[in-house]
Amino acid sequence: MSSFKNRLLARIFTRFPSLVERAAEKAAPLKIEGIPWTPVTKPLKESTVALVTTAGVHLASQKPFDMEDPDGDPTWRELHSDIPREEYTITHDYYDHRDADRDLNIVFPIDRLQELKEEGLIGGVADTHYGFMGHIAGAHVDTLIKETAPEMTRKLVAAGVDVVLLTPG
Amino acid sequence: MGLIQREIERAGIPTISVSIVRKLTEEVKAPRAVFLRWPMGHPLGEPGRVDQQTVVVKRALEALEKIKEPGTIVDLPYRWRRYDDIRKDVVIT
Repeated sequence: MSSFKNRLLARIFTRFPSLVERAAEKAAPLKIEGIPWTPVTKPLKESTVALVTTAGVHLASQKPFDMEDPDGDPTWRELHSDIPREEYTITHDYYDHRDADRDLNIVFPIDRLQELKEEGLIGGVADTHYGFMGHIAGAHVDTLIKETAPEMTRKLVAAGVDVVLLTPG
Repeated sequence: MGLIQREIERAGIPTISVSIVRKLTEEVKAPRAVFLRWPMGHPLGEPGRVDQQTVVVKRALEALEKIKEPGTIVDLPYRWRRYDDIRKDVVIT
């Protein structure tokens, strides 16, 4: 599908969310068993929070997500807290990100998280967050579940992150 | 998003996601989520609306602490561009 057609569809989907629901119904059902669960044991005001977004956010200096592959791109990008916001960009043709280009926080609420830390509601903001592209299908689903998501997760664990907030595009 | 969330939760870190497509979140069996009937590309609201963005992040973190049943999706009562709504109190049980 051409990038123009994707962007056009993205605008239509943004305008009419019920179409997204219908597209989701048509998609091949995944076999998903059980629900992983880790109880919250630490108070939020002592917890370090990291963000994981599937909105296609990355740094302009990083490799953009692959828009040519119709099954999407299962790789991730490291997003650092202390990077000036204008160095971030979004590569994702499957939703209309013109508003998010104006204010990254509507898909990647990094500034809001920083404010909650200053307010004392959370203990800290992780130094590193992660950006994925949320349009993954076909064989890439397996790559995501078995390789790239666990790889990123190991980094979150190693960094001592206590809580992860996930946001879509 | 839900598939990634499940991997993080499985590794021992509690997670919460902001969903704008309820059906997808139900199908992938995300551990915990808050849901808003807001347009694609706007899970935290509109550009420059710090109040909207803050309220969604706060509610999500509250839901993280309160949800005890795996797979719970909390429907937030905020309608798109109804600015009075964001002052609504939400009791997450």
